[in-house]
Amino acid sequence: MIFPLDAAVDEPAAVIGGKAHGLITLLRLGLPVPPGFVIDTNACRTYLRDGSLPDGLEAAVERLGAASVSVRSGAAVSMPGMMNTLLDVRPPIGDAVREIFRSWHTPRAVTYRELQGIRHDLGTAVVVQKMVFGERGSSGVAFSRDPSTGEKIPYGDVLFGCRGDDVVSGRTSTLPLSALASRKPAVWRELTDALSRAERHYRDACHVEFTVESGRLWLLQVRPGGLTAPAAVRVAVDLADEEVISREEAVRRISPRHLRAAAVPRMLGGEIVARGRGASPGVATGRVVFSSDRAVRMPGPVILVRPVTSPHDLPGLAAATGIVTSRGGLAGHAAVVARSLGKPAVVDATAVEVGEASARIGDRVLPEGTLITIDGTGGEVALGHPGLCTAITDTHLHRLLRWADDLSGDHSPRPAEERLRAAGDRR
Amino acid sequence: MTVSRMTVVLHALRCMGFAELTRVADVAGQPEPQTESDLIDLAVDGLVTRELGAWGLTPAGRAEDARRTADELAGAETRGVVDAAYEKFLVLNPELLDLCSAWQLRTIDGVTTPNDHRDPAYDGRVFDRFADLDQRAEPVCLELAAALPRFGRYRERLGAALGRARGGALEELADSLTSYHVVWFQLHEDLLVTLGRTRG
Repeated sequence: MIFPLDAAVDEPAAVIGGKAHGLITLLRLGLPVPPGFVIDTNACRTYLRDGSLPDGLEAAVERLGAASVSVRSGAAVSMPGMMNTLLDVRPPIGDAVREIFRSWHTPRAVTYRELQGIRHDLGTAVVVQKMVFGERGSSGVAFSRDPSTGEKIPYGDVLFGCRGDDVVSGRTSTLPLSALASRKPAVWRELTDALSRAERHYRDACHVEFTVESGRLWLLQVRPGGLTAPAAVRVAVDLADEEVISREEAVRRISPRHLRAAAVPRMLGGEIVARGRGASPGVATGRVVFSSDRAVRMPGPVILVRPVTSPHDLPGLAAATGIVTSRGGLAGHAAVVARSLGKPAVVDATAVEVGEASARIGDRVLPEGTLITIDGTGGEVALGHPGLCTAITDTHLHRLLRWADDLSGDHSPRPAEERLRAAGDRR
Repeated sequence: MTVSRMTVVLHALRCMGFAELTRVADVAGQPEPQTESDLIDLAVDGLVTRELGAWGLTPAGRAEDARRTADELAGAETRGVVDAAYEKFLVLNPELLDLCSAWQLRTIDGVTTPNDHRDPAYDGRVFDRFADLDQRAEPVCLELAAALPRFGRYRERLGAALGRARGGALEELADSLTSYHVVWFQLHEDLLVTLGRTRG
C-alpha cells in the first residue's frame, strides 16, 4: 500500500519503515518535512515475490506535483547504508522503486541482517519525497546533544552548497554545525527548536538529517540515540535531572555493556582541533607524522595521520601509538587494522588536509612533530596532552549507580555491573 | 607472457610495502632462498632496499614496477578483464570490511564493544558469511588470474587464511599480518596499482 507522509497516518514502523515513521512523527510535532509518500514493506514483499508494484504509484507521484523526487529505502529495523537511495529522480519512478526493493537482497544487506539477527523476509519500505536541494543552501546532520560526551550542546556537521548525502557519506569536508549559527541564525534557531521538540517526544537525545533550501529548513530523517556509551550514561542522568524521564528509567536505559564500553579512558577536554569518528577506542598521545616511513623512524610515541591507508602504511600503523585518517569509515581498512593492533583510531576527520610535512585544519597548520592527543571513542583530535578521564572520575556514572543502589536497596560496595543488575532484578 | 621471478618479487613489494623476507616469499609464492636472491639482485639494480630488517621499494623500484605493470596490461583484452573484475571487487569490498568489523566489534542495543569471542553462535554467523563471501570472491580472483597469472596467488592466500581461521586461529580473519583482511587489502592495492588508480 501507499500512505501519504501525513500526521494523520497511524501505521507502525513494521509497516511503513523506521524512516517514514520518524518523518510522520516530525510532522505531528509541526516540523517541516518535504511532502511525499511511503510505499510500505508489504509492497516490497509482494514485489520480491511476484515482481509487481502497488497500484497508484505513478498517480501518487503526480499528486506530489514535483519535477524531481528522492527515493529512499527505509526498513523497519535500521540498516544504515545497506540499501539504496536515489536522488533527483524524475517520474516515472517505477524503476527506481524496483531498484530499492531489490537492494534488500544484495549480499551485503543479507550479511548485515544475518549478523544483526534481522529476519530476511521483512522487506523495506520506500520513502518518496519532493526533492529539496541543499545546493541552494546547506545540508547536514545535527545531534540534539554531543554524541561523544553527551553534553547538552547541539552538535553536527554542515556543508554549504551541497546535498545531504555528501555529508552522511563524508565525501566532502564539512564545517561544525555551529557555523550555521553564525551564517544563518534564523535557520539555526529553527533547527535547535526542532531538536528540542524531537527530544521531548522521544524522551532521548536525537539526531536529524536536514537540508536548507533557499533559506527554508527541511528535515529528512530523525533517529533517537546514536551516542557513545559514556555519552549515553550522561544523557540518561541529565534527562532524569531535567525530569524528562524518571531515575528508574535512567537506570534501566544503561546496560552492563554501556559500563564496559564506558570503562575505556577518555580524553579530558583539551583544545580540540578536529573531529572525526571514533573507530578504535582508547586515548593516544604522540607527535604527528604523515608517512609510514616517518612513523617508523621518529623516536618516541607518534600519531600517524594519513588521508587514507594502503598496505604500505602497515609498518607505520604498527609503529604508531594512534592513527588518524581524514577519509574512510568505521568499517574501512584503516579502522580494521587499528583495531587488530589494539590502537586508538579516529577516521573520517574530514577537516584535516594531509600534506607531506604538515597538515592543515582550517587556518591552522600542524607541522610534523606537533604533539597531539586523539580519542578513539568520540573521534576527537586535540593539541598537546590534555590528560585522561576514566570511569572512576565520571560523576554522572557515580550518580547513576547511586540511583541503582536506591532501587535495589543495597548500598554495599560492589562492582558497577552488579549494582546495575541488582537494580534490574528488583523491578 | 612469462613474467620473470624478479618482476614478481618487485611487484609483491609494491603491493605490500616494507616486509620481512618470510612475508615477501609467501606473497611472491616462491621459496625464501630464491626470493632472497631475487631481492639482492633487485637491490643491486637500485630497485629495492633493506632497512631495519625489512625489504621495500626505492622510488626507482616503484617507477620500474609501474612501467612493467603497465606493459603487462597493454593488451586491450587484459585491461577490460581487470577493469570488470575491479568493479566486482568494489561490490565485495564493503561487505568484507563489514565482516572484519563485525568480527572485531559487536553492537548490541546500540552499544559497541570488542567481540570477546565468547558467543560461538555469533562468531559462527560471522564465519559463515566470511566463507560465503570467499566463495563469491573466488570467481573474481579466477578471472583476474586468467588475465594476469600473478593474481592466482591471492586466491591461494585467501583460501589459506580462511583455512587457518577455520582451524582455530581466530586472528587469521582480520587481526594478523597474514590475515584474510591483509591479503584482501593487498589485492585491493594490486588492483589500484595495476589499473593506475588511486584509493578513493
